[in-house]
Amino acid sequence: MKYENDFLLKIHKELLEMRLLEAKMVDLYAESRVPGHIHSGMGQEAAFVGVLATRKPGDYFKLAHRVVSSSYLVGDPLDTFFGEILAKKTGNSGGRGGINHTGRLCDGVLGMSGTLGCDAAIPVGAAMTIEAEGRDNVAFFFAGDGATNRGPVYEAMTLAADWKLPVVFVCINNGFGISTPTEYSSPVPNVMADKAAGFNMPSVVVDGTNVLETYEGASKIVEGVRAGNGPAVIECKCYRWRGHFEGDQCAYRDGAVTQMNMEEKDCVKNFEKDLMDQGVLTADQIAEMRESFDKEMEASIAHAEAAPEMTADEIFDYLYV
Amino acid sequence: MKVTFGKAIGDALKEEMRRDDKVLMYGEDVAQFGNIFGLTRGMLDEFGPKRVRNTPITETAIIGSAIGAAETGLRPCVELMYSDFTTVCFAEIFHCVSKWRYMHGPEFKLPLVIRNASGSSNGAGAEHSNCVESLFMHAPGLTIVTPSCAYDAKGLLKSAIRSDNPVLFCEPKLLYQAKQEIPDDVYNSDYTIPLGLADVKRQGTDITLVAIGLMVPRALEAAEKLAAEGISVEVIDPRTIAPLDKDTIYASIRKTHRAAIVEEGNKTSGVGAELAAQFQEELYDELDGPVARIAALDVPMPYNIPMEHYSVPDANNIMETIRGMF
Repeated sequence: MKYENDFLLKIHKELLEMRLLEAKMVDLYAESRVPGHIHSGMGQEAAFVGVLATRKPGDYFKLAHRVVSSSYLVGDPLDTFFGEILAKKTGNSGGRGGINHTGRLCDGVLGMSGTLGCDAAIPVGAAMTIEAEGRDNVAFFFAGDGATNRGPVYEAMTLAADWKLPVVFVCINNGFGISTPTEYSSPVPNVMADKAAGFNMPSVVVDGTNVLETYEGASKIVEGVRAGNGPAVIECKCYRWRGHFEGDQCAYRDGAVTQMNMEEKDCVKNFEKDLMDQGVLTADQIAEMRESFDKEMEASIAHAEAAPEMTADEIFDYLYV
Repeated sequence: MKVTFGKAIGDALKEEMRRDDKVLMYGEDVAQFGNIFGLTRGMLDEFGPKRVRNTPITETAIIGSAIGAAETGLRPCVELMYSDFTTVCFAEIFHCVSKWRYMHGPEFKLPLVIRNASGSSNGAGAEHSNCVESLFMHAPGLTIVTPSCAYDAKGLLKSAIRSDNPVLFCEPKLLYQAKQEIPDDVYNSDYTIPLGLADVKRQGTDITLVAIGLMVPRALEAAEKLAAEGISVEVIDPRTIAPLDKDTIYASIRKTHRAAIVEEGNKTSGVGAELAAQFQEELYDELDGPVARIAALDVPMPYNIPMEHYSVPDANNIMETIRGMF
């Protein structure tokens, strides 16, 4: 498939920024500057960028705990994003929600449940609004392979299929549910795509570390959902570079395999190599982008760190409002 | 006109759906079948299959989709059939519905109502007879409503549908057929009853009896009989269990200096347990004696009907407990 340079550069910018955000959160956590946990999504960015390159205004997103910087991808300003992660009043809920609850409804972010899978039907409801208003939008559901074993995911798929609603179910299959390998927990290799037929949904399996392959696979699927053909499944295969949370030593897996994935399946590095080979981008430009975005992130982190925290007299705010 | 509690629920739904085309209603067997108690009959014909929808047996998806629909602009009023089935989608209600606005910020409004048919109903057994108010009182953010008569049921359901906060709306099954005389012009006046406002169902001076749902008519019957014995009982129906109208209840206790709570749910960790604890913490000096809890026995609801009736408080149980407080 042939792409305009502008499109490739846009994709690259999103991919690089998500990588830098995921890396930055790891650093912040290591420096004890984050109150909660970090579930780093390094290595999985292309799955989000590739699928969400199909998005259009008015779409809805149920994002996932990994990769949380996906809320930035769909519009959350960096100041708000870091404000919530650092539990400051500048966050979208003033630090009441935290890292899994970043994002703004005005960008189409529907929120997410910390109890993974419980939020599976939330995009189904958003799709009811889309249907009621007669729009050609879609609602995306993102979850990892671990969460897709849960019952609420299948109830959500059942309801979406029965009502033929515009929901795109995206499974980010990174090979592990905390410490449990997918081969152990799933009787089929493609944990969601292999089950899609049971819901009469079309599905596609893509290499989620290849941003353009992901985009191409997702495009066909999303096009069908937008056209009113009902829900569908996209499964993105990738590998979780880091532990389930920071501090997880990953004693349950072969470090050599992790190393191999990080070297050979680096979605950012591989895409950059392609773009440089094609003359779309130079190494200097990439270095400049990294430096420039790092400054932006540092400014937002400084802004968040200087921002006030909610106080005891505000602890009940947003309840029964 | 004589109105049943069940008709009042159906009429509230219809009136709100006529008033606001964002309101929709769905759940298991609510469309053609008209709900297992017949409450929503005729609504499919009037509002069509997009606003009155049958779902498959997918409670977690009913609740989850209601959140997604509510935050994006619709006002879903969903039904879980038996209150017991809230346990099937407990996490979705406890974590998501209750906490969503708090966790995600004020931009996220959640105008959704979860209707459920609550309590015993002559032989429904241990998994179809529960009262779940006390389970969900542990979930700040959730409004919990349990009406006790047709007039309140209609006004409260309309307010619940108009609220931007999520409401768990518990309908005592044994009240569905209970009739109440309500003047036509009042019933048809589009009245609402504010959430969070208790109602003094009977004035009294000797004891404050907080009664919930099905227990309200039984408390009134007991109060009537106790009056003949010289005990003046003030019966208060909180109507909204959470957040609780402490002002009305506490004003009454400051007057009577005695308090009891009667509920259809189990005694241990019930609504009464929480209220009794609050009364003694906040009104200790006002109380002339211990706060009494009158509640169902701590057993799974027996299928045997005489034993089912035995396990749930009736007017005699209420009278006996109150007599013992003097």
